[in-house]
Amino acid sequence: MSIEIPGLPEDMPGAELKYVGKDVKRIEDPGLVAGTVEFIDNLDLPNMAHCAMLRSPHPHARITGYDTSAAEALPGVAAVITGEDVKRWANPVTTAPEGWGSYCLAVDKVRFVGEPVVAVAAESRYIAEDALELVNVEYELLPVAATAEEAIKEGAPRLFEENESNVILSKTYDWGDVDQVFADADHVVSEAFSWNRVGANPMETFGCVSTWDTLNNSLTIHGSFQTPGFMALGRAFSLNLPTNKVKVVSHPHGGSFGGKGGPRGSEISSLLSRKAGGRAVKYIEDRVEYLLAGAGQSWDRRYDASLALKADGTVTGFKVKLLDDQGAGAEGYGTISIAKPIAAFTGCYRIEAARYDLNVVATNRAPTYPYRGYGPPPHNYVLESLMDIAAQKLGLDVAEIRRRNYIPPEAFPYTIPSGNEYDSGQYEVTLDAALDLADYKALREEQARAREEGRLVGIGVCSVVEPGVFDWNAYTTVGIQGIGVPEGAKVSVDIMGQITVTVGFSLEGQGQYTLAAQLVADFFGVDMASVRVAYAATDVAPPHFGPGGSRLGVAITGAVLGACRKIEEKFKLVTARLMQCEPAALELADGLVRIKGVPGAEMHIAQVAGTMLARSDLLPPGMEQSPEATYVWTAPGRTEPDEQGRCKSYLTAANACHVVM
Amino acid sequence: MTTKQTVKVTVNGIAYERQVEPRLTLVDFLRHELHLGGTHVGCEHGVCGTCNILVDGKAVRSCLMLAVQVDGASLTTVEGLRNRDTGDLHPIQQAFVDEHGMQCGFCTPGFLMTTLELLRDNPNPSEADIKDALGGNLCRCTGYEAIMKSVRLAAKRVQEGQDIGLTHTD
Repeated sequence: MSIEIPGLPEDMPGAELKYVGKDVKRIEDPGLVAGTVEFIDNLDLPNMAHCAMLRSPHPHARITGYDTSAAEALPGVAAVITGEDVKRWANPVTTAPEGWGSYCLAVDKVRFVGEPVVAVAAESRYIAEDALELVNVEYELLPVAATAEEAIKEGAPRLFEENESNVILSKTYDWGDVDQVFADADHVVSEAFSWNRVGANPMETFGCVSTWDTLNNSLTIHGSFQTPGFMALGRAFSLNLPTNKVKVVSHPHGGSFGGKGGPRGSEISSLLSRKAGGRAVKYIEDRVEYLLAGAGQSWDRRYDASLALKADGTVTGFKVKLLDDQGAGAEGYGTISIAKPIAAFTGCYRIEAARYDLNVVATNRAPTYPYRGYGPPPHNYVLESLMDIAAQKLGLDVAEIRRRNYIPPEAFPYTIPSGNEYDSGQYEVTLDAALDLADYKALREEQARAREEGRLVGIGVCSVVEPGVFDWNAYTTVGIQGIGVPEGAKVSVDIMGQITVTVGFSLEGQGQYTLAAQLVADFFGVDMASVRVAYAATDVAPPHFGPGGSRLGVAITGAVLGACRKIEEKFKLVTARLMQCEPAALELADGLVRIKGVPGAEMHIAQVAGTMLARSDLLPPGMEQSPEATYVWTAPGRTEPDEQGRCKSYLTAANACHVVM
Repeated sequence: MTTKQTVKVTVNGIAYERQVEPRLTLVDFLRHELHLGGTHVGCEHGVCGTCNILVDGKAVRSCLMLAVQVDGASLTTVEGLRNRDTGDLHPIQQAFVDEHGMQCGFCTPGFLMTTLELLRDNPNPSEADIKDALGGNLCRCTGYEAIMKSVRLAAKRVQEGQDIGLTHTD
């Protein structure tokens, strides 16, 4: 069974839509305004200890000794761990590309300011922080690679001494005959660009509570996790546990924007729990820790880029050389941020050929992590700035040069030179709407008047494609394997006709629980209040990823509709047997399974579910007593990348146009 | 560590007495001693307003006060907003739900408490009054427009006669 994602509310199955596409109140909100939602710091487990971390004051230094004895002797301290414990019990985190991960606490040396070095668990956070003041760590300072430019110089200090250099990745993709289009160009415009590091800064920092069951050698981590299944798998690898012995429970979190991370915090609190004999250990990152070296930093880039143009402003080629500063290794999977732009490399434009020369480098700065849909804004800044520079050179209006180069509506589905397929787009319509909203003509007149008065006023026009619904294949470039990112949902109808949707992700703010309830309510034709959305931890949840890469609204729609379809099919078989009709004669609407065109020949879904659960003798032969179904949705038609990284990766291609004075 | 001191305080109309270290912050006291987890901690240095509560009727950052400073005071937190008998949302809470004044909702309790102080003192606030009052609260999800709408709706309902008074803090 394949599930088409409805493009519009009217494409939804079901007779009458009461919720999808309508203004509904979010089911998440009453708990949020009441203050009763269980954010991670609201979780208290019996006899729980609290973690604090001593962090490196140096960007690069060898650890030559520890003295933790005074901290261990402080009343209220439950456990102290250092790199020695970590070396014994854990592994460096997995990375893409491989071999650029650190241990959760610095082992042998520190690589950035803020890297955790020693961690304490104590009766309270206050006592844990007291204990840190009693810890002594001796360092021998090492030379520093502070910038990407420094890090790639001959003889630069190496962050990972087992690797040959600080270059994490260096490769060039050629899509089409780039040299030829540049040779044939009437104009070439080039510029260098830089994009400073940015930070996510959700209102809630990262937090978790780890409990290491030392009897069964299993681990449970509650936390503000965006991608619980992925976190559980990673912790199993780092902490030498079987993958089915790590359970992650994601709590509602106070924003994430990709920057919640948490591998280090989870592993440190877990190892403290292990050392404390299985006592639960809570770690709540504070704001200073988050700002210093939390998982919220991203996109530290230098670009050299060029456009090739014909005399009429037609863009034929686009070359980008990127020097990307990942910080101290690739522990945060920040590398994928340089791969995502491949999914919309040439933006909204018909450009024949393009080149992406990638250089991804480790430096002695805090590691970078994914942020806000994984990384296109700096790339868009480069492309859109070059479009402006080209317009200026050719004497064209900045809106006009874009208009001349847009992929036309009749060209969709359209495959861009870097391989991804855009499903649809009406870029000129979007441009015109933005120009109208801004009253572009009036803005230009105002600008002209200002110039006459000697004031410089700028007007910016910017068109972008933002790929949505990520796929692993988009990140093959940095060494990630796989095609298809599953997202599952279970839908259950109970004996009273109440419906529960079970998903593998928790609240983050985008309203997906409301979306799930809207879809189910309209599919069965029941009141939205009779639908509950429940969270399942990683040990019992269906395959899932959660929010990330602008995917979950689409993915959970596919999963929920798929599960509903499976239930509909079963309900029709059961009802057909009871009513002695063909399943095809039945329809599902208004909470009823009924014979089309025969008023009164109907069963409420509660009766069907009740029959399934309580009258096995009435069921079709072989039918399970199970008025529930699980469906795992995956974006259809994703393809294996070729040697130039070309594939169908992101499923959707949203378009935006901004006009700013 | 130092000698513990006694704190007697009334929170949402309920009297509490605890022995605490002088260094314990008010927000940690509320969250971890009294188990009132609705007041959240955002920045821990007085920037974001997530931890705002009312102390003797005035909105304060509970991360910037010590628990010992509120000895003898009357406090209102987000847990004190709902009608205790019916469980109904307070008009300000309902306005935030109706106008989608949140996404992740982590900062929302702070916005609610700030709005309560604003509308209690000024039931007919201008745009500038609302912006001035909310200027000390940060949100990272909404872009603030929906929050402004929520406050306007709450103000309208107050003007129409809905009671935002909290008898236990009078």
